[in-house]
Amino acid sequence: MNAPRLSHTAALILKAISLGYCYGLDVMEITGLPSGTVYPALRRLERDEFVESKWEPEEQATAKQRPARRYYEVTREGKAAAFAATQRYPLLAHLVPEKRS
Amino acid sequence: MSQTSAPTLPPLDRKLLGVVARLVPLAEREEWSRAWQAELWHMHHRKGLRHRSALMTMADFSIGLTRDALWLRTESWRRTFTGTAGLCIVSLFGLIVIASLITLVPQAGLRAFGASLGQQFDRSLFAAPLILFVAFASASNRHIERGPQSRGRFWIKQQAFLSGKAVQVLILAFALSVDICQPMRQALPDTTDFFQVFWFVLFSLIGLRWAINDQEQRCRHCLQSLATPARVGRPSHNLLEWNGTELSCKRGHGLLSIPEMETSWCQSSRWIVLEAYRLRVDEDRYLEIG
Repeated sequence: MNAPRLSHTAALILKAISLGYCYGLDVMEITGLPSGTVYPALRRLERDEFVESKWEPEEQATAKQRPARRYYEVTREGKAAAFAATQRYPLLAHLVPEKRS
Repeated sequence: MSQTSAPTLPPLDRKLLGVVARLVPLAEREEWSRAWQAELWHMHHRKGLRHRSALMTMADFSIGLTRDALWLRTESWRRTFTGTAGLCIVSLFGLIVIASLITLVPQAGLRAFGASLGQQFDRSLFAAPLILFVAFASASNRHIERGPQSRGRFWIKQQAFLSGKAVQVLILAFALSVDICQPMRQALPDTTDFFQVFWFVLFSLIGLRWAINDQEQRCRHCLQSLATPARVGRPSHNLLEWNGTELSCKRGHGLLSIPEMETSWCQSSRWIVLEAYRLRVDEDRYLEIG
């Protein structure tokens, strides 16, 4: 099966999520993209099943005295698409550093 | 999903969220609000973002949440209207308007436009029944086994839709033929008349062919486009087993195609409308729920 072709922006966002930047604000900060680009792109990636989202457990967020966040995770199809995108845009790998936990 | 109390946000943020939330479809509004309340809370408490001015950050996030809400709204429209008969008719109408505007704009006004088109329109009107006859007579006819649900008002709905498409296709073909011939009309009026009829016939035949094919690719029940082809059975080597392709629309009605080898007793493949089966399944499900 051919890997689906992603735009450079979508590939950059997918790459950021695959490297551990798993919520909107984090992705915005590391990619430098405006929120008007990042959030709709996340929705599209979720619709196309490249990423899936889940809510952070309430207890975890309450313990840190903040509201629960919506986390994004790359799916198997998303990993294949991210790999194909890295081959198509070789500089992508250098644009986003891996997240330090 | 468990609910938490909304995080405390500045009044301006809350007001903005309240206004923009109206753009979001009702089913997704609550989750959208919750997600954006969290994002805005984190934006205000984020150290890394403090190098940017608060106004710039807020403006950026306002654009973000508005575009996110608009995306959800357009996506909901896309899911609702894609493949519907209404969208098909509206799209054809839109194309007619665009094609007419291309002719109308260089003309001085509506009156000049009408006067210049009079003769061309008469010729095309004369050719139209002939084109319709040729298009429908040469169209391949699917042998569809109809259930009781496929007659009556469903048949009327199908014919009304096909007629609507055919009329719009003819008008569009006429408008396009005029658009193409308009630039050379001043220099070569007689030749242009001939070419205008030629283009009208060509566009009409292509358009009507599309209209008939499109009609065959639609559900007999609700006129939605049929999609998601699924193979049923498998082609047999000894010709004793059967196979088919089931197509279904968004509402779950379907059409089952059973390919046949052409023989003296069976000259074409069979197309079976599946709505009776579907309705029975739905009824059973309702009974179970009840």
